[in-house]
Amino acid sequence: MSRSSRSCYGARWASPGSGSEVSDTDLRPISLDALAGAAAPRLNRRTALIAGAGAALVLGAGLLMPVVVRGASAFGLIFDAVMFAFLTMSIAFLVRHLGIVSLGHTAFFGGSAYTVAIATTVGGMGMIPAAALGLLVGVVLAVLMGAIVVRASGMTFMMLTLALGQAVYQVVVLQIARPWTGASDGTSLSYIAGDSFFGVPPDQVVNPVGFWPVVWIVFVLSIVALWFVGRMKFGRVLQGIRENEERMRFSGYDTVRPRFLAFVVSGTVASIGGVLFALNASYVSPELLSFFRSGDALIATLLGGTGLLVGPVVGALIYMILLSTLNSTGNLQLYLGAALVIVLAFLPTGVTGAIVTGVKRLWRRIRRKGPM
Amino acid sequence: MAAHQEEGADVSLFEAIDVSVSYGAVKALDGVSISLEPGIVHGVIGPNGAGKSTFIDGLSGRTRLTGGRVMLDGENVTARRPAWRRHRGISRSFQRTSVFPAMTVGDQFDMVADRMNEEDLDGIVDALQLRGVLAQVCSEIAYGTQRSVDLALALIGRPRVVLLDEPCAGLVADEGVTMLNHIRTLCKERDVAAILVEHDVDGVFRTCDEVTVLDLGRILVSGKPGDVRKDERVIRAYLGSAG
Repeated sequence: MSRSSRSCYGARWASPGSGSEVSDTDLRPISLDALAGAAAPRLNRRTALIAGAGAALVLGAGLLMPVVVRGASAFGLIFDAVMFAFLTMSIAFLVRHLGIVSLGHTAFFGGSAYTVAIATTVGGMGMIPAAALGLLVGVVLAVLMGAIVVRASGMTFMMLTLALGQAVYQVVVLQIARPWTGASDGTSLSYIAGDSFFGVPPDQVVNPVGFWPVVWIVFVLSIVALWFVGRMKFGRVLQGIRENEERMRFSGYDTVRPRFLAFVVSGTVASIGGVLFALNASYVSPELLSFFRSGDALIATLLGGTGLLVGPVVGALIYMILLSTLNSTGNLQLYLGAALVIVLAFLPTGVTGAIVTGVKRLWRRIRRKGPM
Repeated sequence: MAAHQEEGADVSLFEAIDVSVSYGAVKALDGVSISLEPGIVHGVIGPNGAGKSTFIDGLSGRTRLTGGRVMLDGENVTARRPAWRRHRGISRSFQRTSVFPAMTVGDQFDMVADRMNEEDLDGIVDALQLRGVLAQVCSEIAYGTQRSVDLALALIGRPRVVLLDEPCAGLVADEGVTMLNHIRTLCKERDVAAILVEHDVDGVFRTCDEVTVLDLGRILVSGKPGDVRKDERVIRAYLGSAG
């Protein structure tokens, strides 16, 4: 930590106005560049301390969520949003740092979820070993897919990740795989009586309120981890690659390995979400791996915006609210599509980006008027 | 004039031997050889389509050679990647400004200096008069200044060979003169061997210690600026047509 903050020029050259994450360069017309984040401020002890304090506060406040949000459906909605946010957050990480859009992250989320299910049924494992195995399989899938797609970018990257993600779907629904995966029916987890997941017994793991502390702690830690990775020198290297990969190579940087590592980090976050999801839902179905799931995750990511770390989290929440309020009409996809068009046309940096821009403008106006 | 043919015996810092690049049936470069020594600025001029930029691309590893070799200290580096060459001291700048547009100037220098273990970044910044823009986002500074940023990126990490592809492209006359002066001073001070591809013929004759004239992918003439300027073939093929 101190290593990355003690770079000889960074501190001195840090621009005075680099305190926020979304700058005006984000306001170009719709393009991946516009969706990606602007220059991230460098990590120094002060920002690290502020972020740490902020994370601790969020962590503590979030743990009180079940007390504050009493209605079972409202709390369930937040719970689902956080689960979904593992997926949107991991997708947004790649958009923000490398300007690439993955449609294959369902493979890690769903792949690890399925592994947990199979480990508890076929393998007869307890929750913790099953979770560890699920995470491992998710990461291995990310490594394998990453090795294939790492050199691709833009449309090629999108199509390759889509194809590989759908390959996992196809394997899961194979009739031969039925004893393991339940094919198109999906499969339920089985819990061992008296087992516990970090102190939470099975009957509480499947209960959103009972499982919430574990989910929330892991979630906040994941956000902090992604934040930290983005602020390390590694994050700056990713930004360099996103902006001008050729110049990076001619500046002595290997550009393949950082892209690969970023992909695996992102896939790991999605896998963590998949593990927690499976344990709680106690049932996994091919829908987790479907094309619609990747599409919805991408839509939610873009709705929230990728410039800010919390953007995809807000996006997941908006998505879940839309899902719960509009699903009864049976035209969810229609409304979702319309919402996406509106956001991309008028708020290309997503809802959170628009809020930040609005607040900045307001602030500027207030400051300008202040001395008069 | 044709001295480049017999220089294989003694080891030069940087050498291109019989370098050829073909695009299908088109030979963009056909058996070009050049040899560089520390502190010497070697100009490469020629009409459009002479193969100047292809030459830089071939030597820097951006374009694959279809024939010939690139040697550094007598070691064949033809098959090496750009990043590898950069660490061994072969650096380049770009005709179309290649910087990191959304990063601050200081941040991108810091990033490259970090990778290349540059200790005297301040020296480069001051030599190119970039201190005033360090805190600015690169896309927001003047084009001429961006050209200097491009050059600075190539100079970070004490390269031994710099391949400069039209560093004055798009600059107004005054800026171009300043840029060429900067290049000459920096190469002399830092003992860097440079290839300077440039459209501005007078600028090249003023700046360079040696000049090679390319025409249709081949070397027309190579030698001291004074000799090359007087050479009839050059006047006919190039300078004449340019007025």
